[in-house]
Amino acid sequence: MRLHFSLLLLVMAGLVVAFAPLPVPAVAPQERTFEVDARQYAYSPSELKVNAGDTVTIKLVSTDVVHGLYVDGYDISVEADPGQSARLTFVADKPGSFRFRCNVTCGAMHPFMIGKITVGTNDWLYRSIGLASLAVIGFFPLSSFLNQSKKKDERNIAS
Amino acid sequence: MKEILLPNMNRIELTRIPFIKNTLKSRYPQLAVFIVMLVGYIFAILAGLIGTPVGSHNFSIVFVWIAWWAILILVAVPFFGRGWCAVCPIPLPGEWLQRGAILAPPDKRPKWLNLRVPKMFRNIWMQNISFLLLALFSSALLTTPNITGIVLAAMLFVAIGLSAIFERRAFCRYLCPVGGFIGLYSQTAPIELRIKDKQVCVKCVGKPCYNGSDAGYGCPWDVFPGGMTKNTYCGLCMECIRTCPHDNIAVNLRPFSADLAKPTARLDEAFKAFIMFGAAMIYAGVLLGPWGTLKDAAYNVGTGAWFMYAVIFLAIIFIVLPGLFTLGIMTTKGRQSLKQRFMSLSTALIPLGLMFWVAFSLSFVLTNASYILAALSDPLALGWNLFGTANAAWQPMLTTILAPAQTLALVVGLVWSARTAQKVNEAGTSTIPVIVYCFVATSIMLWLLL
Amino acid sequence: MKRPELISRILIITGILLAVGAPLFLWARTPLIHARMAEDGGWNPDVIQAETGKPLHLKLTSDDVVHGFAVGQMDMQSVDILPGKVTEITLTFDKPGIYTFFCTRWCGLNHWRMRGTIEVTGGSDIITAGGSSEPASVPLYVSLDLDIDAPHDSPVIPNEKPSAMNGQLLGANLPIDQSLDYYLSHSPYQVFTDLSDTSLTESQKWDAVAYLWQSNTTPESLANGKELYAQNCAACHGENGAGDGVFADDLAEAGEASMQTMEGATDMVMQTPVDFTDPSRILGASPALLQGKILRGGMGTGMPMWGVIFTEEQIWDLIAYIYSFQFEYQK
Ligand code: SF4
Ligand code: SF4
Ligand code: SF4
Ligand SMILES: [Cu+2]
Repeated sequence: MRLHFSLLLLVMAGLVVAFAPLPVPAVAPQERTFEVDARQYAYSPSELKVNAGDTVTIKLVSTDVVHGLYVDGYDISVEADPGQSARLTFVADKPGSFRFRCNVTCGAMHPFMIGKITVGTNDWLYRSIGLASLAVIGFFPLSSFLNQSKKKDERNIAS
Repeated sequence: MKEILLPNMNRIELTRIPFIKNTLKSRYPQLAVFIVMLVGYIFAILAGLIGTPVGSHNFSIVFVWIAWWAILILVAVPFFGRGWCAVCPIPLPGEWLQRGAILAPPDKRPKWLNLRVPKMFRNIWMQNISFLLLALFSSALLTTPNITGIVLAAMLFVAIGLSAIFERRAFCRYLCPVGGFIGLYSQTAPIELRIKDKQVCVKCVGKPCYNGSDAGYGCPWDVFPGGMTKNTYCGLCMECIRTCPHDNIAVNLRPFSADLAKPTARLDEAFKAFIMFGAAMIYAGVLLGPWGTLKDAAYNVGTGAWFMYAVIFLAIIFIVLPGLFTLGIMTTKGRQSLKQRFMSLSTALIPLGLMFWVAFSLSFVLTNASYILAALSDPLALGWNLFGTANAAWQPMLTTILAPAQTLALVVGLVWSARTAQKVNEAGTSTIPVIVYCFVATSIMLWLLL
Repeated sequence: MKRPELISRILIITGILLAVGAPLFLWARTPLIHARMAEDGGWNPDVIQAETGKPLHLKLTSDDVVHGFAVGQMDMQSVDILPGKVTEITLTFDKPGIYTFFCTRWCGLNHWRMRGTIEVTGGSDIITAGGSSEPASVPLYVSLDLDIDAPHDSPVIPNEKPSAMNGQLLGANLPIDQSLDYYLSHSPYQVFTDLSDTSLTESQKWDAVAYLWQSNTTPESLANGKELYAQNCAACHGENGAGDGVFADDLAEAGEASMQTMEGATDMVMQTPVDFTDPSRILGASPALLQGKILRGGMGTGMPMWGVIFTEEQIWDLIAYIYSFQFEYQK
């Protein structure tokens, strides 16, 4: 009984941490332009931060060979030759942190040519750490309960 | 204690099912898989050496580091333990050479040197070293078909060479860089091969499972099934099922991580846990992070930056992680020596370490899985289109569920490790330092991945 | 030996032989032309034989990054060569000669060094340099006997960008030679000085010069020049012509070091790319001089030799576009 109850409590707390809507600080959407240099195998700057709702323009400047830039989650991309910089404009309407990566094979480490764009705050990271904390906090009472019941079992079987 | 009191509690004996039993006992199904695997393996070597130097379009890179790796770390190890070793083609040519036969009953006289591996090497330090060597070169290895081809070929030839010098599968047991960590994490798998009844073994004459008989070869992994308590060193080669005259070998379905109730008691194994734990975190940062300088350092093998990277890599694995861990457990007192506690509590890092690898690999694999389609249709990059998928565009898969799946894996790993810490901890001391350690590591991993 | 044992051995051996033999066989049977960055060897092979009138099938693949393929002075669409993929192309040559093929996508500092030749024989079997072009006409800078390496800076520069529209308003009865030869052989500064007898103000003179330049080009020519510029020049000379392209720093830095890796070119020195927005540099250069520079290249600087690549018309388009960094044209 008690076990079920505390389990339920834990699961509910977990759901709250994972899904409860957070107050989104109301910031007026802006237009933002970043000039991102691409070389084998890195972007610079490699970490971009914008607010949710911003209209983001990334001007991709390839400085050695042809590179691309694909944004995870948004599923959009752009490709630039050296000397022909290209622009990618999109509305950052999905909050969270997303990897952007090169989508034009550009040499050996190409699959690991990665940058990061954070739209608003990286909520999922904080929620995840919250879930991990909750798991640890909930773990102690549950495990002591389990230990007790196991001992009981063992005694029952041994006798 | 519990294990002895309740030997078969929570176990379902899969070998009771006639189909499974017959499949495992017969040599032919396994042999068929072996041959297919060997052909694929050799093809991968060739593709690595003569195919396109472009990693993401080379069969060897795509099939070894994306397809095989995904299956290994996401399915085979967590659910089947050493299942991969049961079908791995690397030892096949060596065993043929060693035994002088593929199927025929073993000769009484050894064909080659048949030496025993020196005592000094009968541990997994060589495996730790071989893994670390590959790990330090991994950025080049993972992306350069030539290097992958050479490493695959080298594993095959070293395995053959060791088979001629030493008895049994010396390569698998003591050197294979992959076998080392499969062994470590196979303890968490819900599958095991064990004897059914200890008493039968005690009375068994000749111990054919270890020494071999007309029905098959003595345990190639140099373990005595009768005394086996964990999965680590059993390669699931199924010889003992074939040789045991008393039908005393079972393959069981069991609770996850049943082996971890028995704490690690060897330093090489304890450090293996740290090596794998640390390597997953470093890879997550270097390969999946947005830091170009780190990638350059890791990739440009031989440069000053790479030496720095290597030193930091080794320092994290051998000094920082074990050091903090030791400091943590020193805050609580126990009757056992510090070394003993270090070793047994390191067991707690095994489930979380496995989940670190799962979370890391999910990202890498889901992002690049679409390369498999293209490589399948044009494996040598000669412009073929065997299955019509040669021009499949690169497209990350399941990007929306990636982050939740990673969180889930890591949180499950954390709880699993906490539970393991309690099981292996000596009575009366607190597990809080170990759990806090795991929690901090999990948070760092979350930060690196999300 | 028992049968199963024998069969297994045969199977394994056949499997191994197949796994080794089949890829080797198929690989040897498919000759590919490999493209690599110039530092890593460029084209392999870099000499291709062909015959006039016979279609030449090529299978191209890239071993590292995105490259492209085109044959100089030939009317063809360039094709992309993607890493690990095979691009097939069929060419037919009408005239014998030595043609230059080159990489069309920027693949690093030494991109323009990625060139190879197609030796087309057939018919009379006379090999002439210059490929399909007519028996090479002497370029203007040679017939004018220009020293294209001599300094040619304009000592006077306008205060603001000369406007062709204003120049047009000045009327058509200015004492300017309207012939094409005059335009081609004179720098804007020379035209400016030729106007010194008139009563125009300095800025009016410059406007008149701008108008002369505009009337010697067409919007199509400018557009074509712009495209050629973006693809071939901007990586060094900058997207806005300011000499600040993505390789400008590398060119300056790499200097001799980078050149020494190229065969037999140890005494070359890199220079920074010319800034086309610099009035004294461009207003002092005649179209003929720029043609010479483009045709011949920078001789040891990072400036490629374009003579075997661009057609004459393409070079004039490019030159027209280069001047547009100096003049305000009718939109
Ligand atoms: S230990 Fe290594 S070589 Fe041996 S079976 Fe396992 S993976 Fe293969
Ligand atoms: S052969 Fe069977 S009964 Fe004999 S020792 Fe081995 S497992 Fe036990
Ligand atoms: S013989 Fe038995 S115990 Fe030995 S490796 Fe094979 S399956 Fe495991
Ligand atoms: Cu790239």
